[in-house]
Amino acid sequence: MGTIDLSQTDITSANAMIRDFGHDGQDVEIINPDARHNIGVGLVDPITVKVRGSAGYFCGGLSHGARYEIEHNAGWAVGDNIYSGSVVVGGNAGAIAGVAIRGAEIVVRGNMGSRAGQVMKAGTLCCGGNAAFMAGYMMYGGRIIILGDGAAKVGQDMSAGEIFVGGKIESLGNDTMIVDMDAAERDEIMEFLERYKMNYKGDFTKIINAGKKLRYANQEPRARPQPFFVSSNSNNYWNPKVQEDIWIKGEVGRYRIRGYGASKPVPHLNDIAFVKDVASRQYKPEELQDVNLKTTVGGRYGAKPLSLSMPVMIAPMSFGALSRSVKIALARASRLSGISENTGEGGMLDEQREEADQLIFQCLSGRLGWNVKDMQRADAIEIYISQGAKPGLGGQLMAKKVTPELAAIRGIPQGIDLRSPSRHPDVLGADDLVIKVEEFREATMHKVPLGIKMGAGRVNDDIKIAYKDGFDFVELDGLQGSTGAASTEVLENVGIPTLAAVQEAIDGLKEIDAGDDMDLVMMGGIKDGVDVVKMLALGADCTSVGTSAIIAGGCIACMQCHVGTCPVGIATQDKEHEARYDIDLQSQNMHRYFESLRWQIASITKALGYDDVHKVSRDDLVALTPEAADITGLPLLSEHPSLHEPELGLELLDRKAG
Amino acid sequence: MCGIAGILYKQAGTHEIGKTLIEMLDGCQHRGPDSTGFALYGEDKDQLQLRFIVPTEENARNKATDNIASLLARHNATIESEQSVGCSYQIAVNFDGDLLAFTKDIEEHAKLVSVGHTLDIIKDDGTAHELDSTYHVGEITGTHGIGHVRLATESAVRPEAAHPFWATGFEDIAIVHNGQITNYWKMRRRLERRGFTFHTDNDSELVAVYLADKLKQGETLDHVLETAIADLDGTFSFLVSTPNEIGYAKDNLAAKPMVLFETDDMIAIASEEVSLNRLFPGQSINSTEPAPGTFQTWARSI
Repeated sequence: MGTIDLSQTDITSANAMIRDFGHDGQDVEIINPDARHNIGVGLVDPITVKVRGSAGYFCGGLSHGARYEIEHNAGWAVGDNIYSGSVVVGGNAGAIAGVAIRGAEIVVRGNMGSRAGQVMKAGTLCCGGNAAFMAGYMMYGGRIIILGDGAAKVGQDMSAGEIFVGGKIESLGNDTMIVDMDAAERDEIMEFLERYKMNYKGDFTKIINAGKKLRYANQEPRARPQPFFVSSNSNNYWNPKVQEDIWIKGEVGRYRIRGYGASKPVPHLNDIAFVKDVASRQYKPEELQDVNLKTTVGGRYGAKPLSLSMPVMIAPMSFGALSRSVKIALARASRLSGISENTGEGGMLDEQREEADQLIFQCLSGRLGWNVKDMQRADAIEIYISQGAKPGLGGQLMAKKVTPELAAIRGIPQGIDLRSPSRHPDVLGADDLVIKVEEFREATMHKVPLGIKMGAGRVNDDIKIAYKDGFDFVELDGLQGSTGAASTEVLENVGIPTLAAVQEAIDGLKEIDAGDDMDLVMMGGIKDGVDVVKMLALGADCTSVGTSAIIAGGCIACMQCHVGTCPVGIATQDKEHEARYDIDLQSQNMHRYFESLRWQIASITKALGYDDVHKVSRDDLVALTPEAADITGLPLLSEHPSLHEPELGLELLDRKAG
Repeated sequence: MCGIAGILYKQAGTHEIGKTLIEMLDGCQHRGPDSTGFALYGEDKDQLQLRFIVPTEENARNKATDNIASLLARHNATIESEQSVGCSYQIAVNFDGDLLAFTKDIEEHAKLVSVGHTLDIIKDDGTAHELDSTYHVGEITGTHGIGHVRLATESAVRPEAAHPFWATGFEDIAIVHNGQITNYWKMRRRLERRGFTFHTDNDSELVAVYLADKLKQGETLDHVLETAIADLDGTFSFLVSTPNEIGYAKDNLAAKPMVLFETDDMIAIASEEVSLNRLFPGQSINSTEPAPGTFQTWARSI
């Protein structure tokens, strides 16, 4: 057995040594652990790791197949997200023991902290002592065995799985019920306890989901298509979209859920313009090839950055919201155009991994489809905090889309109206996020860039936190960002416009002298290469396109994404509908669309007088409206110095003046 | 967004509280790299001890200390001793008037961060070890203390925004807090109506004033913490210290971490066990995680 002394070794080196022992099939003991975080994270070999003392946060987290024996206590999130293997804690465990496990066996001989087994999908979490409040919070499956008492709200918002409590139960959570257990179940539990040498002879109370809140009482009706571009382009307050909203609310009697983003006028990139005399600059078409558009994202801490052929990414969109075929087509188009694809919430598909050269793997609060093996084959990792379409809320996937195949990859019961949690179990503040960042770094051996996806709320503060918490890049999504399903209240009204978001981000980073080492990727209403260049001139390092990509790839923008019977096979999991989607054709359409962006970006850059798109700056821009000037601090057209100094030769302005 | 730590030795006499808190805060410095602070309790001194934050640049500092001197003269407080170190200006004064009115006036014109006969609050930008090299915290002995590491989120990185917070108007009471009080403005207005003034928008200052106000009305620390859990909304784990006690309160959602370890001789509390374990390297300790919505206090023997 190998030995690692944590009083002599930092955790990153220790984990590398543990992996080496694992590779050789040799067990390892950790001495002087002294409650340090992230011990044994990311191990994928079936060895035994003995921790001679107490472990800190995330011990054994994001591992696969290994066995951990912690002699004393464990901190928060012991055994985070394990697919197979086991963790035995000799003493007490902190909050969220066994969070998001998908098959592991976690045994805590003492007491365990609050929210144990949060969003777990499968496997067994067993506690010899008492469990603090909300044991089994939002669990999707698996089994929790508590030999002592269960504190308040046992099984709060659980969707499936079973909780067995030996002692007293202070109170039951929402939508749970007590049912009889049969002899076979008891035999299985006793066999489990015996295997882990836990002596218990008493009875159990069995708690399961009562099934009253898994589905909305009234489902979303299929409305007469009210296309996005119709509903966006009309009176701001009385328009066909409002009319449709009222009809649907009259039918379902609650908030309405729909796809797409905010469809109302807000200050955006079309309210600013380029300020140079574009027409007088002559160049030959072939010169465009020499304009540098190459963009790297995520090199801040020495990980291998994403290497993009232009400052464009494909926005995160889930397998779930979108069909498998669309995810494959997006991945292929990203490869053909040399940009990156993003998994979104629903896990990574093998075909998607094969098609995409550069794939970002996104981690959401429900940890749906999240696992260490896919992390280790991703080109970047992104922690989702929120998105522009619905800042502060979790994703929604209506039952029609939660098919057996989809339920399997996500690890959830099929046929429920899936409402993902709005918060990460282990990120309740910027301080916890620091430790989570470290866990992900350890699990990926510090090799892949780590990003954070944020909806635009209080950007000025959030961007500073992202910087201080050590992210390589930020994907920042304005109010206009779209979704597969969200309530109209948040879609239309929560968050700040993309234009304001980029400005706040730039200002915030400047306020803390952050320099430019953390890359800023802006999204939310980027519709063409012109927008891309404007965004870069405002200070972004890269952009991300979602809505425009799928429109190029066949979406008719009918806003019925939530219904699940998408007429063009995009936002559906129904095989018959999906069969209408032609992967070859649509991936080529998207590829050609991306190439049109490339041409636009290159020609504008050239026309502005640069040989590198990253040289464009705020000096190249002017605000066309007082609102845009106010938001961005750019000079307003009527006050621009070139109006008063004709030698600056602004053709646009000359014409206007003349 | 931060980490907190506290230590109280139950037996009479002085202990290496500075060194202990540096170790504990260094153990959880990852939770807050921007600034660090200590509230340290030592012997009961005859003079009132005041610590101010002043500019480090010489001219501005002289101007600030002159200003403080004239403020003190206004209240018939005489300076017995003074010391300038780091960003702070520490003085001992003879004063026996109305402390609330005295500090209210001073705080309008100077950055007063610590007031008491036993308490000294040292806080600045930087890590625990960086503060130690400037303020020699490790050499300070005493009876008990609390400390804090901060990751600035909504307010700027400035020494005066660092924790611990003294309870404006009340001597010898300090708090450190991890979390967010969501009914901040409601509670603040309630206290402002009763004449209290706030000098930051930091919710931790609110907690300090809220607790001290109730303590001065003669309520026990236990009772005050119990009402705090009922009155304050949001997520929090905080520590409070008085001349003879320390205590904690934890919100009903248990959203912020906290572990404690008690022996016959001492009680140590911290955001993470890694801080507690710093005091017992190579050993396993029987720590416990307090339940949501709970509080507890410990007193030293005098």
